[in-house]
Amino acid sequence: MITPNEPIRETNDTAARAAAEVAQATRRTFLGNLAGGAAAFSLGGIALSELLSREARASGSARSDAPTEDPLAPRAPHFAPRAKNVIYIHLAGSPSQLELLDYKPKLAEFHGTPCPDEYLKGEKFAFIKGHPTLLAPQHTFARAGRAGLWTSDLLPNFRTIEDEVCVINTMTTDQFNHAPAQLLLHTGESRFGAASFGSWVGYGLGCETRDLPAFVVLVSGDKTPDAGKSVWGSGFLPSVYQGVQCRASGDPVLYVKDPEGMMRETRRATIDAIAALGRLGFARHGDGETEARIAQYELAYRMQMAVPEAMDLTRESAATLEEYGASPGNPSLANSCLLARRLVERGVRFVQLYDWGWDGHGTSPSDDLLTQLPKKCREMDQPVAALIRDLRRRGLLDETLIVWGGEFGRTPVAEFRDGNKNFLGRDHHPHAFTMWMAGGGVKGGTVYGETDELGYRIARDPVRVKDLQATILHLLGLDHMRLGYMHAGLNHRLTGVQGDAKVVRGLISGG
Amino acid sequence: MAARAPFILASVVALLASSAVLQFGPLSPMVHSEPRVDFADEVLPILATNCLRCHGGVREMAGLNLSDEASVRSVLRSGHRAVVEGKPSQSELLTRISTSDLDERMPPDGAGLSQSEVATIRRWIAEGAAWGTHWAFAPRVSLEQPAKTGAASPLHPRWPRNDLDRFVLAGLDAANLKPAPEASAETLVRRVALDLTGLPPDDALRAAYLADPSDAGYARLVESLLASPAYGERFARIWLDLARYADTQGYEKDGRREIWPWRDWVVNALNSDMPYDDFAVRLLAGDLLPNATDDDRVATAFHRNTLTNTEGGTDNEEFRMAAVFDRVSTTWQSFMGVTFQCVQCHGHPYEPIAQREYYEFLSYLNQTADTDRDDDAPRLAVERSGVKTSVPVMVELSEAERRRTHRLERGAWTAPAEEVLPALPRFLFGAGVAPIGRLAMAERLASADNPLFARVAANRAWETLFGRGIVETSEDFGAMGSGASDRALLDHLAGVLVAREFSMKALLREIVLSATYRQASEVSPAAIARDPDNRRWSRAPRLRLEAEQVRDTALAVSGLLSRKMGGPPVMPPQPEGVWQVVYSGDAWNTSPGEDRYRRAIYTFLRRSSPYPSFIAFDATSRETCTVRRIRTNTPLAALVTLNDPVYLEAAQALAISVRQHHDDTIAVRAMLERALGRTARAEEVDRLVELVTSERARYAERTELARTLAGLAAHDSTDLARDAALVAAANAILNADDFLTRS
Repeated sequence: MITPNEPIRETNDTAARAAAEVAQATRRTFLGNLAGGAAAFSLGGIALSELLSREARASGSARSDAPTEDPLAPRAPHFAPRAKNVIYIHLAGSPSQLELLDYKPKLAEFHGTPCPDEYLKGEKFAFIKGHPTLLAPQHTFARAGRAGLWTSDLLPNFRTIEDEVCVINTMTTDQFNHAPAQLLLHTGESRFGAASFGSWVGYGLGCETRDLPAFVVLVSGDKTPDAGKSVWGSGFLPSVYQGVQCRASGDPVLYVKDPEGMMRETRRATIDAIAALGRLGFARHGDGETEARIAQYELAYRMQMAVPEAMDLTRESAATLEEYGASPGNPSLANSCLLARRLVERGVRFVQLYDWGWDGHGTSPSDDLLTQLPKKCREMDQPVAALIRDLRRRGLLDETLIVWGGEFGRTPVAEFRDGNKNFLGRDHHPHAFTMWMAGGGVKGGTVYGETDELGYRIARDPVRVKDLQATILHLLGLDHMRLGYMHAGLNHRLTGVQGDAKVVRGLISGG
Repeated sequence: MAARAPFILASVVALLASSAVLQFGPLSPMVHSEPRVDFADEVLPILATNCLRCHGGVREMAGLNLSDEASVRSVLRSGHRAVVEGKPSQSELLTRISTSDLDERMPPDGAGLSQSEVATIRRWIAEGAAWGTHWAFAPRVSLEQPAKTGAASPLHPRWPRNDLDRFVLAGLDAANLKPAPEASAETLVRRVALDLTGLPPDDALRAAYLADPSDAGYARLVESLLASPAYGERFARIWLDLARYADTQGYEKDGRREIWPWRDWVVNALNSDMPYDDFAVRLLAGDLLPNATDDDRVATAFHRNTLTNTEGGTDNEEFRMAAVFDRVSTTWQSFMGVTFQCVQCHGHPYEPIAQREYYEFLSYLNQTADTDRDDDAPRLAVERSGVKTSVPVMVELSEAERRRTHRLERGAWTAPAEEVLPALPRFLFGAGVAPIGRLAMAERLASADNPLFARVAANRAWETLFGRGIVETSEDFGAMGSGASDRALLDHLAGVLVAREFSMKALLREIVLSATYRQASEVSPAAIARDPDNRRWSRAPRLRLEAEQVRDTALAVSGLLSRKMGGPPVMPPQPEGVWQVVYSGDAWNTSPGEDRYRRAIYTFLRRSSPYPSFIAFDATSRETCTVRRIRTNTPLAALVTLNDPVYLEAAQALAISVRQHHDDTIAVRAMLERALGRTARAEEVDRLVELVTSERARYAERTELARTLAGLAAHDSTDLARDAALVAAANAILNADDFLTRS
């Protein structure tokens, strides 16, 4: 804790040390009170302030007109985790599982025939009108890996890492439009206002590093997801838990660059002056919030250096860049994958990747199965495989969970929007789709669940979105039922207020 | 609404002779040597914390709902009765909480109830198990002032300035605390200006008050601030959060929505001090008022701020229902401070509200002409701020078109159960209260005999000025909320609001004129240690400025702020690439001229990509009703005020305003005093002069860098290195704790 008698002027080194001590002290007191860990999670918004005031009382002199602790200080999980970090690769728009990982030869057999009536009773489509016809897989498949998984020729690199991967062919959602389905997947609610996956994890576990944000978002393919920044928002959780978008151009984190013309030394000097003014005030009023602010400014200063360093791909070897297909300065999913590894290495807890361009309706060459899908797969297949190999080599794969997938699937029937048959595509399909996981705690080299012969519905072992969420939290050492936050009279959880989500043991190694 | 219900009086005056009751709260009308156990205050909290999760309105395990009197008294499926009045030994509730058999004991997890909790329940049953209403749902109680009952503080007899202070002082006395001394005039003028207008005081106002810091001078200052148009802009911010106001529709396309005339309506209504009950009725049902004006109809855009989804294949009815659910939830959160959303799917877990009652209430809001799509909503053509536009408004369906409302199983629009007729929930309004139509419903909600209406408004006013409500969980006045730190104080304030015919300005005036409000925030460590959380209001709080205030204050002190009011939203500078919009060519085009420097509430709010610097200071994206922002303190907020060009521009303007002083000490002092609104301390000036000196030397040989950093100040500069150094100092000042904090 800073005392009012400290010399006002310090060298950079002593200032940094003093601030680190402040941060350390803050963290200590916070941890002291939160050491109970699990119990605190379920207390939620009301309890947060309670805890804070308790802290103030414990420290004697500090006051608490507002929260003073570090809400991102690392916290103990509920039980021993299998993974520490998550890299979640979301393919916005949703790729076709039927061209990639859920091989359905029957579709080829019945290609062009009307979809059986029993599937269409009460069925709603986003775009299809009239009675649709079945559409054969548009790319060839071959078996690969220990499990002999049928894998599309569009994914040659994926075949080399299949033994690390657990493919889930039986994901199912109840949303068939992009924004609500993305919201459900990333926040547990199909409507706006709930907290995103990464913010829940930050709330539950805090962050290992304070030089970088706890929850980083990387977007490729020019566009944000349909549901906008809400998919990495903090919803009803305090905004400190929201995802921070690291951008490929402009400032890597908004406002992280010093203003034009300001020298680094000048920034250092201004932050020292700000801290000195703060300390003069603290000596008068003893407001813990002021103390915390001094520490936050010091963190901001460190982040100003750490973020550009972490985001600088030129520091990678030519061989690594080539393996990923990454190219510094040109935003791409390849760059995002490599950046994700750099961030996880530096202690970022949750890295969320979004890649735009997977919405294959077949209305033009830019969204069809024969041109666009192979193009997107070329952009995706190599870096994703490279990421897993790279993490494995660096010993990080066992503690890093990789999640891959879209927000729903594509229909086994052709879309032919407005009767246009010039291009092939599939409409939105909520009933069954494919996702996969790899790394920390995942049962590699396996396929989970099975869809029916046409890939329309699930034949056995469905995995609802909330089950996947519960499973990912479980791998992180968090019990989804205990990770709650009281808001608007409900104990909100990522997996929903009903509390019926299930951890899917079949996805976990050693079950 | 001219006719107001009489203020409900309970004769508790006699009781006030006993100061313990006054200070510690439960306002039981009975006096005993050993007071009887009060169900609502003593038993219900035990049940809520330990039992209702399983034996509440959601799960009703074993058929028992302990929040429902009938269930508690009835014969359960097991053949037992949870409570047999007067007979603890026959009451299954007591048996199960006191048994030592762990297979039988309730609650099954944890250590079980404490001995004193068990004793309380035993005594409550023995005394007849009288039911009671949670305090917030019971009528307000009129209290005689402590001073008039002989309970006035003997320690600080001259401290109170008004009735409010007498209630606060009673609490302070009870805790053996003393009030803080009055804040300095400089502190007070900045505080009250920021609180009432969201802006620091302008020079004339500040000078006038400092020249005459008497009570009369202070009262004049307060009147000027309440009369300032900036008042409406400041308090509108709160309503924009409640109303989830934004300039786009939400969801995938998140296309624009022209609804800013509603925002301006709110500003004007607040500035004209429209009575709060009228205000509420207009928001909910202005279209149905006799001889409704265009303004009355514009007010109903309140509930047109719901999200709309125009994605392909969207089911209109599904999203129409989602909007109606949102309107119900927003209505209850805004005016009632009770969580109601959860009753959509099942009985309320903690409050005595049945699921059916949710739909009875919903039916009032289920009769407006709308499908989900924004372009389908009825629109009203208006001209505002010289701009012709149209606003989506509420229009009631004709008699022939009226919808039937059904209870929905699990809240699913595809699972209608029995039909319901409009009615208000019994726990607040009594049985069989069923006003006819949306207007009558709104009038009933917005009335003095709704126990929550005035309390919630009074609490919000207090929260705005003190940073924390008397009910800290301003979104939840119910059994699971924080409860009131001082019920008598809250009911007094609610009573003031009602007695002053719902004038919000009258209530705010009462508060800011009080001695309580005028206390210093800087007090001795010993005083802080005695009331660390300021539960008793023994000092003024120090509060980080709100997102909007951070911007507005920086622009104001640097002289850049435009005071232009109203009209379409504007686009101040925002980093490149923040808007990456799917399916839409919409772009952020930085506003020219003074629109670059407007107050924060006029900034365009795109829900899927809100203005990033506000988010860093805890503003929301306005997807749903926000009752309370939680303040955070993060490095990302620091980066905004350090590096956002908006704040650098403010620093440059601040530097320009003082550079004619060639003496650095004078220049720095002038900047500090402008920004902080107080006399600078010598150590502060010295520290910043040191900064100016070091940076001036650093930039002396780097003319181009100096020119860039000086920015606006480079024009006409005679000493670029010094101007750059002054900008650096101004940048530090605009990041100073005392700048970002109202003390």
